Amino acid sequence: MQNMTNQKKTVLVVGGGVAGISAALDLAAGGHRVHLVERGHDLGGQVAKLDKFYPTDHCAFCPLWTEIRRCKESEAVTIHTLSRVETLEQAGVRHRAVIIESAPVVDPALCINCGRCESACPKGVARPIWEHAYPPVYVIDRDRCGDCSACAEVCPTKAIAFDREERKVELDLDEVVWAAGFDEVSLAPMKEYGWGTHPDILTSLEFEAWKAEAGENRGKILRRSDRAVPRSIAFIQCAGARDLRLLPHCSAVCCMHALKQAQWVKRRTPEVDCVILYTDLRTVGRDYYEYALRDFDGNGVRLVRGRPSMIYPLPRGGIAVRYEDTSTGKREIRQFDMVVLNGNLQSTLARQPDPGARPDLGGEGFVTPASISCGFVMEPADVTESAIQASSAALRSILGTKG
Amino acid sequence: MTKIGVFLCNCFGEIGGVIDLESIRKRLESDPAVDFVTVRESLCMPGDAAEAHARIRERGIGRVLLGACSPYGRMEMVRLALVKEGVDVRTVRAADLREGCAWVHGKDPAGATRKAANQLDMEIALLQNMRGSKDVAVGIQQEALVIGAGPAGLSAACGLARLGFQAHLVDRGTAPGGMLNMITRVYPTDVAGPEKLAALVEESRGNPRIRFYGKTKVASVKGYAGDFKVSLAGPEGSTSLRVGAVVLATGARILFPQGLYGYGKLKGVITQMEMERQFASGKPACRSAVFIQCVGARNAERPYCSTICCPLSLKNAMRIVDEVPGAKAAVLHRDIMTPGSVLEAYYRKALHKGVQFIRFDADRPPEVRGDGQVSGVEVFDAISGKTRTIETDLLVLSTPLVADPESAALARMLEIPVDGHGFIAEVYPVHPVETRNDGVFICGTARWPVSSDQAIAQGEAAAVKAASFLGRQTVSALAMGRVPGAKLGHAEADAGACTGCGNCVAVCPYRACRLQRTGNRSVSRVIKVRCKACGSCVSVCPNGAMQIPEQNYRVTGEMIRRAFREVR
Repeated sequence: MQNMTNQKKTVLVVGGGVAGISAALDLAAGGHRVHLVERGHDLGGQVAKLDKFYPTDHCAFCPLWTEIRRCKESEAVTIHTLSRVETLEQAGVRHRAVIIESAPVVDPALCINCGRCESACPKGVARPIWEHAYPPVYVIDRDRCGDCSACAEVCPTKAIAFDREERKVELDLDEVVWAAGFDEVSLAPMKEYGWGTHPDILTSLEFEAWKAEAGENRGKILRRSDRAVPRSIAFIQCAGARDLRLLPHCSAVCCMHALKQAQWVKRRTPEVDCVILYTDLRTVGRDYYEYALRDFDGNGVRLVRGRPSMIYPLPRGGIAVRYEDTSTGKREIRQFDMVVLNGNLQSTLARQPDPGARPDLGGEGFVTPASISCGFVMEPADVTESAIQASSAALRSILGTKG
Repeated sequence: MTKIGVFLCNCFGEIGGVIDLESIRKRLESDPAVDFVTVRESLCMPGDAAEAHARIRERGIGRVLLGACSPYGRMEMVRLALVKEGVDVRTVRAADLREGCAWVHGKDPAGATRKAANQLDMEIALLQNMRGSKDVAVGIQQEALVIGAGPAGLSAACGLARLGFQAHLVDRGTAPGGMLNMITRVYPTDVAGPEKLAALVEESRGNPRIRFYGKTKVASVKGYAGDFKVSLAGPEGSTSLRVGAVVLATGARILFPQGLYGYGKLKGVITQMEMERQFASGKPACRSAVFIQCVGARNAERPYCSTICCPLSLKNAMRIVDEVPGAKAAVLHRDIMTPGSVLEAYYRKALHKGVQFIRFDADRPPEVRGDGQVSGVEVFDAISGKTRTIETDLLVLSTPLVADPESAALARMLEIPVDGHGFIAEVYPVHPVETRNDGVFICGTARWPVSSDQAIAQGEAAAVKAASFLGRQTVSALAMGRVPGAKLGHAEADAGACTGCGNCVAVCPYRACRLQRTGNRSVSRVIKVRCKACGSCVSVCPNGAMQIPEQNYRVTGEMIRRAFREVR
């Protein structure tokens, strides 16, 4: 119960998505030092991949952009991109962490976004980091790169170098906040969803990128197979989730995410028939239920309760979805032009094999209250929930209290 | 008049490859407002800002113009680097010559050069005529007011106290705890409500930094971020406080289901709260129980899901099965709302315990049977398509949390908006506990229906946000932008030109404009701490009395004129 404000702490925040960024900013605002570790090239996490937010339907990147900028401009926050936690040891009340920071081929401090590397690259692996990155810089996909150095030769600022070495950073810390977010889990093992059998069967994040206004189709709703406008799209909920064979949990964000996508399709291209096949339509946040009720003058998204038993490509094109409509009790086989699979989201830590570099996890792969965490690694959460948990995690790490 | 130093960036040919920077340089050098023009290969590479700053210092100039890339490119980084070198952020302007000119007009170098000249001329007009907003500094009162002592308010007050700030915790009840005091078991951990809050309640009593005011209401709040003047009405009369921040945690009420499903007419039809009371006074006297969800919710009148009722019914249904020998429990629902891993596991647990779940359609609600005493429920099972009759002697109605009118009154006092259902609205989903009024934070069910765990987390979040605001000790009005350092200035009212029409008051989204009586007329006054320099008031003022000095209407007019000026 003593005054904790004078004690300046050093906190490691693992994960640079919306949860990690929010926690880092709260800690920095309280005068504490933060090391923010992000596995990707830039901050932003999964939200950076989203085109729109629900329930406002506003651009997702704008508020995120502001938060990323605040993080990058904060002197209290040290950002480690392309980094991972190698080891983590508890020493009394303190923690010692070793961070491995990979060197990017393109140094973001020097890249001026001129795009000459993109024009010079024979393999097309130099590309902008993401559509709304701040500052906008290029990355080179080392896995698909032939190391020909054509890009390095044309780079005017000498930002490109292939021989930079990874760096080992040792940190002495007061607290660790886990905010490592989620990944889509492969649905390939669950054959009935047909993922991977047809280009028009997409996961919801694949679809989000495909339909994004800033994406390659500039917001047009198209089939991936032939770039024709689809006549119908089925959004399949709980794919891989609420399913003891893969993920027992409900991923919490997918009902609203599917509604957002389907309504967006309706707004852009009203003639596309959009059907959401759901189990329970979980719309618990502010304005979420009203969002689900919007009917676009009678030409809205159709909500059908039912879980598909089989999804498969048809020989003459299109995709068959076999399901039972539980409101009529009828078994149906319907043809759709596209299928979007929703639900297969898992904490990134659940698949992190090395227990020396992660906190203790509960049975379903979420961080237990023995460690401080926020966002999807703690419990499936959307942006609002993640931001709340992040601030709460910041408080607990300032005070040194768990739970 | 202070002169302008211009830096033009070639950007390694990205700009100079299209725009003729030499001719631009010569042109600018002939402008009497310009002290020097330097063309550089870059402005954003290591060491560039230091060199630019050395030049600025050497010439002793007070205004800087950069001709370089877009603020969404690297321009903001250049500005920030100059600020770090010691240049005042408000004296640096930039013209976007790369994304906004060279890149989009690459095929027309002469046209691009003319446009670049116009762009730079516009910024020169602005820099020449720019006045700085008069800043005000407010000393932040190092204490906070927390209204409501339920889970959210308690957690906010304890968080603030532990972070070193005095918290005044006000509640209309006699003791802290709120609605949780009446709950004998809290989902999903199944501990008793008072037990769940015991540590927080104890701390609220023992921590000298928390002062609890029972049976007290907030009579009035005046002032603004950093310095709110609060008047409390309690059993011992009124108390005056000055606080730097306010946390609103007044909770919600539960809808009373009068007239629904035989409530008030049939014995054995009760609310969830009455169920809690039965558990508190021992085992409920029933042989079975049926729970109906969404009673008075997710309908035309209240088109929202109240979040907590499904888990609440799961908990009480499991309790009936566990505690009453041989009892059965059924939950009649429209969707089971158990998002996440913990609640979904709780739902599976209820299924394993044999709680029956029957889904009904909103347009075919269950019908209650009984004469004096409830005897059963008839429900159309939407999944099997059959009508079922369930015998029961206890029918529990799950009603939603509804907004408390007292919260809405407080929201008006604190000048923050409520949503369409009467709950208090946050500023944006990314900032869920912050409000439009700086220094005012919200948490718990006053904001939106949430579980006690979520309310406690929101209280902690509000504590962190309030503490980092209080921790600034003094606040400068010019630092009150949404992005630090990025606030343009703030609006100023010219009392001589103002006719007191009130347009500015009506449009200001931050309630920064006020009409103030001076002599026999009203004139507008701007609370600088609240103003975000959005310019709404400027655009609706019929007399030009509202201006942001950094960019007043004369400057804007001159900029527009220069934008279309023929350049030779």
